[in-house]
Amino acid sequence: MKRSGRFSAAATILAAVGLPFATLGLWSLADRWFFPGLLPQSWGLRAWSYILTSAGGQVVNALWQSVAVAAVTAAAAVLVALPAARALGLYEFRGKDPLSVLLTLPIIVPPLSVAMGLHLWFIRMGLAETFIGVVAVHLTFCLPYAVFVLWGVFANYNPDFESQARSLGASRPAVWLRVMLPMIMPGIVVAGLFAFLLSWSQYLSTLIIGGGRLITLPVLLFALMGSGDRPVAAAVSLVFVMPAFVALLFSARHLGGRSLAGVR
Amino acid sequence: MGSLVLKDLAIHYDRQVVVEDFNLAIGEGEMAALLGPSGAGKTTILKAVAGLLAPTRGDILIDGRAVNTLPPEKRDVVMVFQKPLLFPFMNVAQNIAFGLKMRGDGSERRRTAVSRILELTRLEGLGGRKVHALSGGQQQRVALARALVLEPAVLLMDEPLSNLDANLRQEMRELILSIQSELKITTLFVTHDQSEALMMAQRLALLLGGRLRQAGTPQDLFHRPADPEVARFFGGGNFFKGRLQGGVFECALGRLPVSAASGNGHVRTATIRPEDIQLTLDAAGRPGGLAGRVVRTRFEGTATRAWIECDVHEVMVLTAAGELTLGQEVRLHFPPEKIRVFPEDKASE
Repeated sequence: MKRSGRFSAAATILAAVGLPFATLGLWSLADRWFFPGLLPQSWGLRAWSYILTSAGGQVVNALWQSVAVAAVTAAAAVLVALPAARALGLYEFRGKDPLSVLLTLPIIVPPLSVAMGLHLWFIRMGLAETFIGVVAVHLTFCLPYAVFVLWGVFANYNPDFESQARSLGASRPAVWLRVMLPMIMPGIVVAGLFAFLLSWSQYLSTLIIGGGRLITLPVLLFALMGSGDRPVAAAVSLVFVMPAFVALLFSARHLGGRSLAGVR
Repeated sequence: MGSLVLKDLAIHYDRQVVVEDFNLAIGEGEMAALLGPSGAGKTTILKAVAGLLAPTRGDILIDGRAVNTLPPEKRDVVMVFQKPLLFPFMNVAQNIAFGLKMRGDGSERRRTAVSRILELTRLEGLGGRKVHALSGGQQQRVALARALVLEPAVLLMDEPLSNLDANLRQEMRELILSIQSELKITTLFVTHDQSEALMMAQRLALLLGGRLRQAGTPQDLFHRPADPEVARFFGGGNFFKGRLQGGVFECALGRLPVSAASGNGHVRTATIRPEDIQLTLDAAGRPGGLAGRVVRTRFEGTATRAWIECDVHEVMVLTAAGELTLGQEVRLHFPPEKIRVFPEDKASE
């Protein structure tokens, strides 16, 4: 009974997560697939060979561009969010509530309007169509998430650990490096992952600020979808999902909420 | 090893006075207790000595050297917090070696020091354990070991026993005392428990409301309290206002012979500890003393606390004498040498 229950639970999850991907897999392997057919009428590796050979350079370039943008964005988000979250989580100060509302604004306001508004400024500042400009616009969405994740971590963080470490002879930098960082590492991984995935899936803001000069995977994907070649779009979609999936697997053990508490 | 002197220490938080005019000197190798109710500012003083917060005024001297401006890691002072605060990402041995590593000791030296301290704190064989896998008492001992291994000039402990249950508390108390007498590390610990302070400390400082009320040996504070509040903190009761006249204290209870001689004619407050009053049953026929009637009793195990009404005044007595019944007639005897007449009547308005 219990075993079959667990089995059906696993099957449900697998089906819910797997079925959309299965469709993508089928499409990428289809040569011809027309309406009422449940399965493609003819199979072929045309799409894969196209994105791996003739469009291979483009796909690989876009992949690297995406990884670079997402990684730099995630790192910057965590670095900037750390002190902010620490202040929000550990201290009481005037204007804390209005500040937290301000922090959520970029999440509430539609990305399109943010990107459009910033575009003008970025042109003036010479940031439009640059790598830094795209990272900056991604940060406007990623930073609030990183701050919120780490805020929660610091709200449960006991700063007495740091006092204890200082009293045991650790200098201030040593305390950050050897006490604070290991204590909040799971939180950093989660915040970084959120920021990475959020940046990874940005299309509109990349297109507007990047101005078509910075081709990330989503930008390429949309271009290919626009061309109407479904099998190719499906194959690129799968390539697009893969790194995110790997990142998720890599950090899965931190998502389970391994105890941050320590012995307090 | 070192001496610790606190001179005119004042600590304010946001313009709120937490500690004022605090003076204390602790000799080399001494075990001293800072005693007071919660909220009296004890932990604040400890943190100031550790360098974790800056005093508003005053000096902190270790071995005669002012350390006020030194950061905590340069003070040769280690504080053990009330909670064990063991680093969860390190095992027991790594936790203990943390301070040594920060100091730059080599791995060989660290290993020897850690194994010695594990033995001293009776944690042999637990070096490789995860800190989560330890019992509360073991965690507290690891926290202590982590501080002791550094052999600081001054060791500070914030309520070292308060997280432990009664049996463990006694065990830990004996352990701390035996280690302290072996290593002779100057130690200042904070406690709200007067019996703990009396048992453990060679020197005692009582802090009430952010001010030092009395410092001295445990015997001084217990038997010769400076004022009624100090006496009350140590479980004293029975305060009587009266006039001292030629070796007799005249108060509402009558004329009590006392051994105090000075202060003739002044209004003073006197006290006698509940356990110092001798209670006899009327039938025993011991002459003299004060006649009274039992109005309330509370059984406390080794003794019984009884409230005796003498005329209109209630006197609290702690007695081992048999079972008392309500309304029973008894006699109370006040040994003159046990009556403490306070030097200045702070209680008077």
